[in-house]
Amino acid sequence: MDFAGLLTDATREMFAPTTAAFALAAIGLNFHFGLTGLLNMGHAGFMLLGMYGYAITVREGGSMWLGILVAMVLAMLFGLLLGWPTLKLRGDYLAIVTIAAAEFVRFLGRSSVMKNITGGSTGIRGSDYKAPFEALSPFPDKQITIGLWTLHGSSSTSWWLVVVSWSMVAIFAWLFWMLARSPWGRVLKGVREDEDAVRSLGKNVYAYKMQALVIGGVIGALGGILWSFGNAVSPDSMGRPTTFWIWTLLLLGGAATVFGPILGSVLFWTALVLVKGLAAMFIPETLMTATQREPFALILVGVALMLLVIFRPQGILGNRRELAING
Amino acid sequence: MTTTIDRRVIVRAIVVFLLAAAVITVISVIMSDSAQATDTATHVVAADTSSGDSTTTATTTATAGTNRILQSLVNGLAFGTLLALASVGLSLIYGTTGLSNFAHGEQVSFGAVLTYFLVTPQPVTIPFVPVSFTIGLPLVVGAIIAIAVSAGTGWLQDKFLWSPLRRRGVGTVQQMIVSIGLSLAMLNFIQWWVGGGRFRLTIEIDQPISLGLVTIGRTTLISLVIALACLGGVSWFLLKTRLGRATRAVSDNPALASASGIQVGKIIRLVWIIAAGLAGLGGILLGLYEEGTAFDAGARLLMLMFAAVTLGGLGQAFGALVGSLVIGVVAEMSTIWLPADLKVAVALVILILVLLVRPQGILGRAERVG
Repeated sequence: MDFAGLLTDATREMFAPTTAAFALAAIGLNFHFGLTGLLNMGHAGFMLLGMYGYAITVREGGSMWLGILVAMVLAMLFGLLLGWPTLKLRGDYLAIVTIAAAEFVRFLGRSSVMKNITGGSTGIRGSDYKAPFEALSPFPDKQITIGLWTLHGSSSTSWWLVVVSWSMVAIFAWLFWMLARSPWGRVLKGVREDEDAVRSLGKNVYAYKMQALVIGGVIGALGGILWSFGNAVSPDSMGRPTTFWIWTLLLLGGAATVFGPILGSVLFWTALVLVKGLAAMFIPETLMTATQREPFALILVGVALMLLVIFRPQGILGNRRELAING
Repeated sequence: MTTTIDRRVIVRAIVVFLLAAAVITVISVIMSDSAQATDTATHVVAADTSSGDSTTTATTTATAGTNRILQSLVNGLAFGTLLALASVGLSLIYGTTGLSNFAHGEQVSFGAVLTYFLVTPQPVTIPFVPVSFTIGLPLVVGAIIAIAVSAGTGWLQDKFLWSPLRRRGVGTVQQMIVSIGLSLAMLNFIQWWVGGGRFRLTIEIDQPISLGLVTIGRTTLISLVIALACLGGVSWFLLKTRLGRATRAVSDNPALASASGIQVGKIIRLVWIIAAGLAGLGGILLGLYEEGTAFDAGARLLMLMFAAVTLGGLGQAFGALVGSLVIGVVAEMSTIWLPADLKVAVALVILILVLLVRPQGILGRAERVG
């Protein structure tokens, strides 16, 4: 791969629909962790549930809007179910239960029993559910080159998906900004800083936490649908590592900030492409084969997460005084 | 920390177990309905054991049924014992430092993978070193070296990562996220090292030994003896030695322990060494039990470990033991009614149910949960 090609790839990754989908999911997590201080370690579960809800509804003949509604309702119920036993307990209980529940969704989805509904471990093919969304595309049905980058007009990872997903990200970033500075958002920040103080003011902390969990989860489900438009519904791509990536990119950009999730997602995915590309260029094949580049890049992600939390927990955009991660 | 397993605890464990069995039955009924309505070919559940439809086969299915239940019980106890090796360490770390260590699964994988690296007759490589070579040690020697190195990684981790973090006053939540980063890095490092395939620690085939109604592999039996000896050793250490008493004191109240002259830092270092060593041993024995291991073997176990530890009561070493046995038995028993690929899912449902009715776990104390 030459250097110009790598640059094109890296810049394409900056505005790719996957980047937008992860940014949206991270905005959801920002409601949980950034605003309320909830440790949701099962965000990929919300995403997977969302894409299952959408894909199955559309495949069985439902309309696109019904599919989105089903996905949101599923995520809402999932949030309520998880929050019910754990939100009254210490933070790490929520972490353990959410990660367990997300894995449960994945195991159930890929099990042989559910094969007729969820497609087992192979998942659901894109052609089964993408048609209604792609039919709405105003772009012509061919490859279009804008600037350096060539993408298809309307199918799969397309310019249409780019436009829709970044609009969604913009809308929800705006929503986050509005809600975070509302009286409701101030109560959530209070819960994050000192739960007992908020309780002594007569607020129902449990209800506020539950609202944040549900809203963030629903946004996560929408992020999952966006992701599935560019790829396919596959349970194994929504395992624990996905949740950890979302955490990394949220902490990288800066939790509790409006643009943190977006900046984090762009940097995270661009950096992954750059690391893999540079490794391919500069490290000879005898030292690192092509299949070893992916784990190598992900080792750096893990190390980056550790260093971030230790040395700069507020991320790039965050304010250290505002957000100190505490137990 | 509770020092003995009294009768109350056993009753509680049985109640949890019965509750889980009831839930599995309900799920299996719902599942079998939906599966039969759509497709029966993929349905591998032997639901017909309870409803012997033809009189000629009724007796044989009945005996096969009890056999299967007994066999699953034995398998579950074996798996639970091996799981306990890994989860006791997780629980000890939580008890003494308050950290939910998400990288503990990778400690398990590390033990198994290192053993493979040392004993396999195939040529092996190290990342960034373009030379392949063969080590091919005997299994026992390789396993002992692997356990020692595992314990060494525990020491290294605490010395260079966790104890500086504690000294800086980094919160437990922050430490938990650090452990997630470490788990991601270690998982991918192991994948880079040995690749994504599945490999066996020994080429010997486990010879089954028949014990009346149930059979158990010879290697499994030896593994169980080793595991029980180690768990017994840890219990003896915790209950009877001075250092063990000090460990329990730190687990109960670090500040008070420190004030009464116990060197908390040293105790925690010791706990890390023990936990990492036990996890390595658990990984090796599980690799033998399941006749294969992989770079993500421990990562897949992590959820079961957390379920066991939470079930027994976070931070209770003996709770982890009881919890592991319950989880092991329930997971194996569930395969009688449910397909094997839902084994882990069942354990996770139990975890959530336990948190609903008894968040402090079987051995935990109610007042510690806020």
